[in-house]
Amino acid sequence: MLTAQNALAPPFQRPPSQVVIRRAASYAQDLFKLIYETLLEFQAQSRAAQPAGNVPALDGSSKFSDLRSKTVLLKPNFVGLDPLGVMNTHPAVVTAAREAFLKLGAAHVLIGDGPALDRDTEAIIESVKLREHVGVVKRTFVDLNLDDVQRVPLRTRASRLKELYLPKTALGADLVVSMPKLKTHHWAGATLSLKNMFGIVPGGCYGWPKNVLHWAGIHNSILDLNATLRPDFAIVDGIYGMEGNGPIQGVPKKANVLIFGNDPVAVDATCCRIMGLLPERIKYLAGAGTLLGHTSVEKIEQHGETIESVRIPFAVLKEFGKLKEPGREKWN
Amino acid sequence: MTLAAAAPIAVEFASMHPDAEKRFVSEVCLPFLQAARNEDGGWGFHTGSESRVEATAWVVLALNATGLHEDLWRAGCDFLRAVQLADGSWPSSPGQNVGSWTTSLACWALMSNSESKTAVAAGLRWICADWPRESGLIARAIRRISAGKPIVAQNGSLHGWGWTPNTASWVEPTAFALIALDQAAAEILPEGAPKRRRIATSLLYDRMCPGGGWNCGNPMVYGVPGDPVVEPTAWALLALRDEPNRGEILMSLEWLEKNLARIESAHSLSLARICWETYGRHWPAGVATLPELYARNDFLDSVPAMAWACLALSPEKKLLFASRPERSA
Repeated sequence: MLTAQNALAPPFQRPPSQVVIRRAASYAQDLFKLIYETLLEFQAQSRAAQPAGNVPALDGSSKFSDLRSKTVLLKPNFVGLDPLGVMNTHPAVVTAAREAFLKLGAAHVLIGDGPALDRDTEAIIESVKLREHVGVVKRTFVDLNLDDVQRVPLRTRASRLKELYLPKTALGADLVVSMPKLKTHHWAGATLSLKNMFGIVPGGCYGWPKNVLHWAGIHNSILDLNATLRPDFAIVDGIYGMEGNGPIQGVPKKANVLIFGNDPVAVDATCCRIMGLLPERIKYLAGAGTLLGHTSVEKIEQHGETIESVRIPFAVLKEFGKLKEPGREKWN
Repeated sequence: MTLAAAAPIAVEFASMHPDAEKRFVSEVCLPFLQAARNEDGGWGFHTGSESRVEATAWVVLALNATGLHEDLWRAGCDFLRAVQLADGSWPSSPGQNVGSWTTSLACWALMSNSESKTAVAAGLRWICADWPRESGLIARAIRRISAGKPIVAQNGSLHGWGWTPNTASWVEPTAFALIALDQAAAEILPEGAPKRRRIATSLLYDRMCPGGGWNCGNPMVYGVPGDPVVEPTAWALLALRDEPNRGEILMSLEWLEKNLARIESAHSLSLARICWETYGRHWPAGVATLPELYARNDFLDSVPAMAWACLALSPEKKLLFASRPERSA
């Protein structure tokens, strides 16, 4: 539901965002332990620091503090057939997050996505081997492309879109967790937790691809969508990322990290810095930094590993050379 | 039989012999579709979900092909006519007041229903009047003056159909529109239809991936060939079935054949089989069967997947594309 938690607060009213970087070298390691312990820290923190007065929480922290009887929607990035396991959010990460939220008390943890280019969702989830991780897929996975929909007026007018039909499963979830892959993107520069929300928009209404978003402007559509259905939390799969001509035809890049945060804008800005990109030069992130969250390092409380200790250069298409941090343009 | 009991039966059907296919349709697919029907006569994408034009159109086509459940077929036709918009188009979801690709599907589905001639004619007129945005004056002017290498390698002067109005041409909605126009009786075909069909056919060939087959419509981006996938390949081949010996078609059939054994979903398997047999080819051994896939994921409870399975396994699936006798009113 659209609640006060999603309301836009002016930047000066927003509390600092919390981002945690964890090293994770392999999908075979105990990801549940790593994710559960990190989420426990967020939960403890959110219980200790409920927002004061009438200032709405920037994130879903109040929901996070007590997950009992809550429905959590995990939104991975299942973008296409991925026999090599490098294009989509890895099911081991998704499954570990699901188990962690259940252990934290969530009543239901659903996994939902609406692949953008290919309407054969079953083929995609089979190619990512989701069934091998979660068992009976139809009990845990929701094809958001084919979900029942509800007309939702958009909260902002960055694009020409005034409304979107959005899936009821996403609108009805108490906590939406964006779980993208750490990737560069051949139209948007980088695709992370905000861009990942394109997968919420139902193909059953807009087609495959959801071309209406492209014609309305990718950057502005990302802003409008996230202003309207803002993810409460983000977990980025950066164990393997993708550089270059992402999100599909790029080159796998091992980055050995998982990035967590209660502000998807701050998480995305942090991911950019890890990849050696300037977040303020990615148009939608620059806009999101003024509208939806924090991109400034001064407003992001960084925990776990430091950015510098895990920074790894991601190649970008030459059209996106301006996104590179000064002095690192030749990283390609 | 309850649907819960259907999965074990699907396992039993897994090693298919010809009769087993028929039984799978009659004992699993049709009961599923029967149970999934909504009170308004339509079908949603899943059991219990709101009726949608697309899901209903596929079921109407499936019921038409099997020749069973005429009452459900008729109610589906009635639902489709009831939700047609004033401009002749059909929306993709309830409440929307703009047309979409579902217009082609609704027209196609209703062509077998004698009470729907007016509705179909209006839908076909809308299809022929719906030009994609890239064909507009501004988009063409921008293309002409923009310098540098294009990001996508495709002929921008060709136009098909988009998923929704005012967007670009894509493979599947173009194939759907071509099939709908191709199936229409000459007397209700709009004046501009032959020209639209000619240009859109060229677009489909232009959008073919370099080694054959299609994806959603990006054969080459930043100089990198796109990977074809089964569904759009099947739809493009079905739309282009009048030229079975053309090089692009043979190359794409070859791609499809090489990939049949890798198919892991009901959608793709059903469409691949419909396509394969429409081209008069023998369905090979060693490919997964629909009951096997049903036992794995219950087709994700997808109504279109069940409808396509009916079409794929129905011996009468040629009715999809033949001029068929109208059912009695």
